[in-house]
Amino acid sequence: MEPFVFRQCVNILKATGRKANSLRSMRKEIASVSDESIYHHAYHYFLKEHLMEYTNDFAHWAGEALEERALAEQLSNIDPYEFKCIMDLRKEFLDVIDGYLERFPEPREVIAGDEFYFNETITIIYPAGVWVKNLAEFLMVLKYINAGSIYFHFYEARIRLGSGIDDFSQWISHSAGKKELAERIRSIDLFMHNIEEIREYIAGVIEEDLKREMEFTGSWK
Amino acid sequence: MIEQYASIASKGDMVLLQRLAERLSGKSFLHINSTFAGGGVAEILNRMIPILKELGINTRWEVIEGDAGFFDITKKIHNALQGDPEKITDDMWNYYLETNRENAGRLDLNADAVLIHDPQPLSLIRHKKDGKWIWRCHIDMSNPSKDVCDYLRQFCVKFDAAIFSVSKFARAIGIDEFIIPPSIDPLSEKNRSLTDEEIKTVLDKFGIPTDRPIILQVSRFDRFKDPTGVIRAFRLVRKYNNAILILAGSSATDDPEGEAVLKEVREYSGDDPDIHILMLPPFSDREINALQRIATVILQKSVKEGFGLTVSEAMWKGKPVIGGAAGGIPIQISHGVTGFLVHSIEGAAFRIRQILNNPEMARRMGEKAREHVRQNFLITRQVRDYLAVWYCLENRGSSIVEI
Repeated sequence: MEPFVFRQCVNILKATGRKANSLRSMRKEIASVSDESIYHHAYHYFLKEHLMEYTNDFAHWAGEALEERALAEQLSNIDPYEFKCIMDLRKEFLDVIDGYLERFPEPREVIAGDEFYFNETITIIYPAGVWVKNLAEFLMVLKYINAGSIYFHFYEARIRLGSGIDDFSQWISHSAGKKELAERIRSIDLFMHNIEEIREYIAGVIEEDLKREMEFTGSWK
Repeated sequence: MIEQYASIASKGDMVLLQRLAERLSGKSFLHINSTFAGGGVAEILNRMIPILKELGINTRWEVIEGDAGFFDITKKIHNALQGDPEKITDDMWNYYLETNRENAGRLDLNADAVLIHDPQPLSLIRHKKDGKWIWRCHIDMSNPSKDVCDYLRQFCVKFDAAIFSVSKFARAIGIDEFIIPPSIDPLSEKNRSLTDEEIKTVLDKFGIPTDRPIILQVSRFDRFKDPTGVIRAFRLVRKYNNAILILAGSSATDDPEGEAVLKEVREYSGDDPDIHILMLPPFSDREINALQRIATVILQKSVKEGFGLTVSEAMWKGKPVIGGAAGGIPIQISHGVTGFLVHSIEGAAFRIRQILNNPEMARRMGEKAREHVRQNFLITRQVRDYLAVWYCLENRGSSIVEI
């Protein structure tokens, strides 16, 4: 069996110096800001420790600072993992904002201090110093590995691999040969859980699978 | 020393710290600021320098020298960058430049990386020799005085990069600008666990009664920290709840206004026996630690703030913190989860009452607050980020770096 090498990532935040104080200026910036900035604001929601009201930074700002709740809900409904490239994701954000501006052309400006600040990240990827060669070892490591490693393999991998599939289920399916277990991991609703809950869920289904296998092996003997 | 952090800090941070240190091992790293004692910058440097040295980085910490006139000017610059309408005359700028020029002659500025902290030594960049120079701005520059900001820009653009604590402090300077929040040291005298006996000794020393809940604010005596606002909030609370208030602060050699603000606060508190105003000497870390551990509610009711590290200090001790929604405080306090953010004296009073009357909620918030600090605001994370920025500057290019 091919070993699973745990890696992890941290993000170092960079300011772009660009900001928005109204929906129109937000639209203008989303249209022209770097891909890295769109990526940061759309995907890094999943690194947060607590589930937030809205699922990306643009939606959060629209809801909390602009107080345009309907727009916030619509932006929040955009699943960044459905897009193959940032250009398409950027277009989707713009389409939603344009649609809203057609219906409500004069949204107010935010109060001073509540502007949206566009950032980017430099992602540093490094080995966690652990590798495993079977599912039992995988389970043991998963329970204690840093949250940054779970983020890297479970969320970031979907973009990196371009297939929308996470590293964990990929390895479990291909190397451990457990397609059904991999499917259970792929069925998680990403938006409804924080990293710790994802850890708990995956550990739970693997543990269940291992126990079942041990019981089966026991009765067969 | 590093091993001691391993059982406390995030494991992932420790692994990356080690890998970055291996790559930067033997290189020299110079920090320059304006005081060895007082305030958050000196405090972090006091703890960070030994860690960097232990990681194999050849690290030095230098402090610029200046007379009272120089520090009066730099205090005005500091206040102007935080939004006060200060006027800096040409003579004052010349004195500022001249003092830094003298310091450049006195200090050894040779290093592979130089981190200049805050505006006081900013114009040392004119005397740059080699290496990567990074300006580390700790203050809230979200609404700076335009004249002062424009003048300082000529120095900022000469740096290889700038680091701000919060996104909204960053200005469009035209150089790489990184966002790195500061941090606390869990092993320092200010944050380590204390015995009951140690706490009692401190309370006895200051004559603090323990028969009622304690409301505490620890900060410099600075108008931006709104100490009189805290007293007004306390007076609103006392209509409903019996408690005592402690305002504890220390002086800093680069803050000539401290004495004046302290006098104002004393006058404002009158002869109220339930308000304890403690002017602590520098290095009163154990005293602050004990006060934070014994407090029921901790405030940082700043109206302007660089980052407000006392918030993370209090959260690390498992306390719910009520913070003004200024500077870096909203990054530390997740409203309703790890504490409360407030926008007014009345708001502060209301949240104090809420915590005093809901000890179970306060306990839950305190637990989450401690974990939030462990993941995000410990010194190991900050050292990691400084080394990461340095490494990225030396290996410019991709937004993805594999180490």
